[in-house]
This record gives sequence, structure tokens and C-alpha cells, in this order.
Amino acid sequence: MPAIFNHLKEWQNELNICIRCGYCYEHCHIYKLTNWESDTPRGKLVLIHALLNGELEPSNEIAEKVFECFYCKKCSDNCSAKVSVTDIFTAARQDLVEAGFDADGVTARIDEDFCSRCRLCISVCKTEALSWDAENKKVVRDKIKCQGCGTCVATCPSGIIVQNEGYAVSRKELKERVKKINSRFLVFCCNWEIYPGLRLSRSETAQPDTHTVIVNMCSGRVEPELILEAFNRGIDGVMIACCPPDECEHNGNYKMMRRVAFLKNLLPELGIDAQRLRVDYFKAKEGVKLKKAIDKFVEDISAIHQSAG
Amino acid sequence: MKLNLDKLRAIVGMGNVRTDPLDLFVYGTDASVHEAPASAVVRPENIEQVQAIMRYANAELIPVIPRGAGSGMSGQAVPIKGGIVMDMKRMNRILEIRPEDILCRVEPGVVDDDLNRALKSYGLFYPPAPASSRIATIGGEIANNASGVRSVKYGATRDSVLGMKVVLANGDLIRLGANTRVEASGYQIDRLMIGSEGTLGIIVEATLLLKPIPKYRCLGRASFNKLEEAGNAISEIIASGASPSILELMDNIAITAVNTTLNMGLPDVEAIVMFEADGQVKEAVDYEIAHIKAVCEKNNGFGIEASYDPEKRMKLYAGRKKLFAALSRYKDGLACTSLADDMAVPYSRMADMAKKIHKIAEKNNVVMTAYGHCGSGCMHTKILMNPVRKEQWDDARRAVEEIYDYVYAIGGTTSAEHGIGISKAPAWKKEKADSLKVMKAIKKALDPNNILNPNKLQDAPDDWVSATRLRYPVKGAV
Repeated sequence: MPAIFNHLKEWQNELNICIRCGYCYEHCHIYKLTNWESDTPRGKLVLIHALLNGELEPSNEIAEKVFECFYCKKCSDNCSAKVSVTDIFTAARQDLVEAGFDADGVTARIDEDFCSRCRLCISVCKTEALSWDAENKKVVRDKIKCQGCGTCVATCPSGIIVQNEGYAVSRKELKERVKKINSRFLVFCCNWEIYPGLRLSRSETAQPDTHTVIVNMCSGRVEPELILEAFNRGIDGVMIACCPPDECEHNGNYKMMRRVAFLKNLLPELGIDAQRLRVDYFKAKEGVKLKKAIDKFVEDISAIHQSAG
Repeated sequence: MKLNLDKLRAIVGMGNVRTDPLDLFVYGTDASVHEAPASAVVRPENIEQVQAIMRYANAELIPVIPRGAGSGMSGQAVPIKGGIVMDMKRMNRILEIRPEDILCRVEPGVVDDDLNRALKSYGLFYPPAPASSRIATIGGEIANNASGVRSVKYGATRDSVLGMKVVLANGDLIRLGANTRVEASGYQIDRLMIGSEGTLGIIVEATLLLKPIPKYRCLGRASFNKLEEAGNAISEIIASGASPSILELMDNIAITAVNTTLNMGLPDVEAIVMFEADGQVKEAVDYEIAHIKAVCEKNNGFGIEASYDPEKRMKLYAGRKKLFAALSRYKDGLACTSLADDMAVPYSRMADMAKKIHKIAEKNNVVMTAYGHCGSGCMHTKILMNPVRKEQWDDARRAVEEIYDYVYAIGGTTSAEHGIGISKAPAWKKEKADSLKVMKAIKKALDPNNILNPNKLQDAPDDWVSATRLRYPVKGAV
């Protein structure tokens, strides 16, 4: 079918302005996972530009790429040419869906058959991607609005909201990553500005870090089970690094704060010092502060261990 | 060209060969104005796999285009006539850091900033630092002889590479260079590979010379009401024996761009010079800074300030750092293209060059600015033009030609740090006219079947505008 790119048309000039420097690679969670250039923000803009100008035919595969974005907006915020990268992705999503192409990418999916209709997920979704269809009595998802923060996944009591595997944020993948950790400390960290650097290179000779960072896109995605799993594995301390209270794009940090308060009460009953779980807040571009905070956490917990003998 | 994908999959594994049209399209682009789709993308993980791919490609006469991060600005990694794009980013191990020998060994896909992050705890750093170091790979930097803002003190990539392992077109593996600071053992073939843009061999390992991280850094800025005076100051700073670690120029177009688009509040003058000195001893850095300030004052520089404080340094330098963004937003409808973007000229002709750039731009209906690492002779420009209008490409073609004619007339060279690729090749062939025959003989000797990144450098098309499809939707044929 011939695709008409009504939404994308108005972005033609912006697509020309992108200088394709590729500096957005550094900030993209998806690229850091796959190391394929077609997963980078630049790669996606190249594809969208090619669609708009008839150099590539639209396909489900291209739609899949466009839906592989968590909207952390680090690419847009750090763009050398100030291109509104994620707004262009949204326009491409709209055009491709309207033209009949389908993909899920990182968006959350609901298994309707098992949904208990409690509607808790609707209340935690800040982007209003979830709504109640009164006529059909079911929760419906607007996949164009869904930014894949995963707060609804962590909230659903039935566990039937899922994200596809392959982006390191599905329940199974996060659990597996926690299980594989061999350092003493674990830091769950949002991709929102505070976790800089490409960090794709591997080094056997460089001094190993005391901590492992798991980038989870939004602290709202961090389920209590993951934290307990970490302590169960003998990890000394778990830190959750997230945006300050009013600055979370998804309000996921409020959800997380309630969970942590509950966990902190529970931990002593399990024989775990509650100080071993810490939450800290970081504003945009506070990578240096994050590093210092991690060092301080490692130092504090190590001191507790020493004094306990 | 008939590709046996099963053979490639058998070498690198199913998941590391891609032929989806979308991947082929993306891997046919870089930061240049050019694009041409790949025939396949493969990602080797070790030297043996690179050798096996080369043996196969050489037997079947299939072009192979090695690729780092694809941050090149002249089309070096664009597969003009298709072929296998060999993405080296999976060979990304830092193999060894030897602080006692101040060297390290790395695979080609290691990212520059990642390496420097790993070196930091040893108090060492790898100096070339192109602006793209956050994504650029060591292999790409070597193949391009990249350099950056501190090249005035630390030189280009060629000054930091001790040795390397290279896979030749026929799949043979050779070791080049040594692990030592000096080597006088016949042909310096390692030097030949540096800047060869993937046309002579595939760099699969590099031994790099490191430097201790300086304890003190002081950055300053001076304003000038006349561009010549800024140019003279730069020339005199270098000629008088000072050793700045940064020495940058920004012309009035660059200053205006930063001020109007980003409201940076830079002084509205004809030129700004930015300078930095670094070292292990504060007194030595103080001395350098005092000397540079005095030279600026002598050449009518004013509003001179300098600071050791990291925050103040960042503030002073912010205008330069944001320049790229500002130029992209200079005027509605204009796109910022990397054309004739990094010539090098003798220090004494820096101001002349900047003025000539403005004249040529005006004459040819495009906007151009002059800035750059003038301390190392490198002048940067960008051509701002309406990229969808066919006539503008004719304008750009003429402007590029006139600029390089002038560069050669004053004893300069085509590219200081961004490389030749496709878009600079026509001019560069003029500059190197008397050595093209030798270059072709070298290429023939090392790659008789012409499969390694063909149609680049001396073999690139004579008209860059029509060499490939342009990345912009140009109305009417170019």
C-alpha cells in the first residue's frame, strides 16, 4: 500500500538539519545493548528520512525500529544540531501505524484474557497510553503514546503486562542480569541523563568496578523482587539512582519510593540491615554527582561491615 | 557481485550478518553528504574471522569496506559500489594496559572515550581526542589519522601509534611498528597504514603510546577587533616557542551564530582566540599563560581572561563547544554540510585564509565560517546552504574548488584531520598530482584486486557531487 507520511512531512527540514555526527550513540540504551548502528537514534533518523523521500519502502521491520525507543530523550537533549529526535520518532510511529504497519518495540502489551480489570495500570501511566474502554470493559493501550517506562509492568498485580525481550527490561531479563552480578554493589540507574558514556568497550586489564550498574530506564520499573533477589545473592548494597521527586518523566519514582519504604520495614525482619538499600536523586547531567554518591555508598556500607566484624 | 551469505554466516555466526534493506541503508551512510547502500553487513569478533572474510572476498572479488563508528565526514565509510561493510565494533577489547611502558594494546573497535576512562585510574591518557571521541573507534581514528583540539601540543593519531596488526587484502596477517618510542627498521609501513582510510589493509590491533594526565590546566580567551590581529597573535604564540595545549580561533560569523542561536553572550568582536596550557608544574603553566596573554596584548587583544577553575574553564569554552549546534541553526532552510571543512595552512597565512573563505562564500551564494584548531594550522569551515536546491550544489562545488585553489597557493594542504574519502578527493588529487602514480602503485601492490574500500582517495570519482546519491532530497538532477 502506498504510504502517505502526513505527520512526517513537516519534519523534512529537521531531518535535513541532522548533521549525522552520531554523537547520539553515546546516550542510547538500545544501541548500548545491541551495538548495531540501525538501532541508534541517527540510524533511525536515516531510515525515516529514506522513507519520507521514497528511498526505502515502509515495512514492519522499520516500524519495529521506530518503536524501539524509551523516550529518555537524551538523544534530543544532547543533539549537536538540536534536532527533536524523539518527536520525529513519534510522527513516524503515527504514520506507520496509520499506513497499517505493526510493531511493538519496547512498548508494554496487555494480555487481555488474564486482565483482572483492576485498572491500577491506568493510574500509574503518566503518558496516558492506557485507558478504560467502558463499552468493551477492557484496558486499552495506545502504543504511540507508550514510552516503555515499564511502571505499569511493575505495578500489574496479575503480572500480565509485559515488554518484549531483547531490550534488557523484561522481567526475565532483569532477573537474569541481577543473578549474573559478581561485584559487591548493585546500582539501578535510570537512563534519564544521569548515566553517561558509551561504555561498549571491554577491558580485562582495567581495574574492576566495585559496583554493577543496571540501566532500567525508570525507577518505577524496579520491582521489589529484584532488590530481594540481589540481597539473596549476597550483594552488599543496592542503590536506586533516579530523578528528583518532581522531575520524573513517568512519576515512576513515587511508585518506587513507596515500595522502598515498605521494603525498608521488611528487610530487618529478614536479617538485612535496611541501610544496605539506598535511594538517591540526581538532576539532569549530574553524572559526576552520581559517581561520587556511588563511591560514598560503597564506603558507608563497607564501614558498617567492618564495624560488624 | 554474488554474495554467498552462508559462507559469511559460517565465519561470523548467524547473528552477525545482516542483509535487511534497512541495515544495508544505514550502513551506507556516515556524517558526510554521501550515501550508497551496502550489500551485506558483517561483524567479526576476532582476527581469524577478519582473515577468513578477506580470503573469501579476495577470491570472489567482492569489495570490503571496514567501518568504525561511521563518524567520518568525507564519505570514507560509504560503500560507493556496494560490497561487504565490515563493522569492527565487536572487536572492542582493551587487551593490555602497561603503565610501566606507558603504552596499551587495543582492538580496533575500542571507543576512544572508553579507553580514556579505563586509563584514568593509571593517571594516563591517549591524546589524539577528536571531537567525536565519545563514539569514534581507535581503528577508525588510525585509518583516518584523526586529531582534535589538543593536537597543537600532542599531535595527531600518527604521533601516538607505536605499532599495529593488519590483515591484508589476501587475508595475510602482518605485524607493523614496535613497542618502543623509536624505531629505525626500514620501511615504516605502519605509517603508511595511518590515514589509508581502509584502502590498504584492515587494522585489527593497535599498540598506543600514552601520556600522563596533566595536573594543571588553565584556559583563557582574548578578543580582537581585527581578524588579522588574531591570526598574527596565533602565529606569534607558536613561533615564539610557547607550548599551548589548545589554541583556537573563532571568526565573527561563528561568534554571531553562537550568540543569536544559543544566546551565549560572547563578545561581539571580529575574532576570538581561545588558549590553554597544561602541565605537571603550576609555575610552568603560569609561565605559558602569561606569555600567551602578553602576545595577545601585543597584537591588540583585549578582554583577556584565564582560569584554572574547571567550571570557569567550561564557561569560557562553552561558545566553542556549542558552535556546531549553532551553525546548524544559523538560518532557516540552511543545512550545515561538512565540505572543505578542515584544510591546514601555514600559521602566517591563517588570517588570509579566513578572509578568503568569507569572500569565496559570498561570491558563491553560500554561508561559510572560519574557526578551528589554528594552533596546529587547522582551519575549520562548514558550508551552510539550502541542500534541496540543485543550484546550491553547483555553488558548493565552485566554492570548494576555489577554496582549495587558494589553500594550495598559500602552501596549505587539503585535510588536517577529517580525511579525504569522496568529497575531498577531487581537490586532493590536484594537490598530490605528482605522487598519485606512487600511491596507485602502492595500492596495486597491497591490494591487486582492488577490493579494499575501492573508489576512495586516488581512485575516487573526479566529481564529488555526483559520486554517490546525496543524502538530501535534491530537487532536479545534480
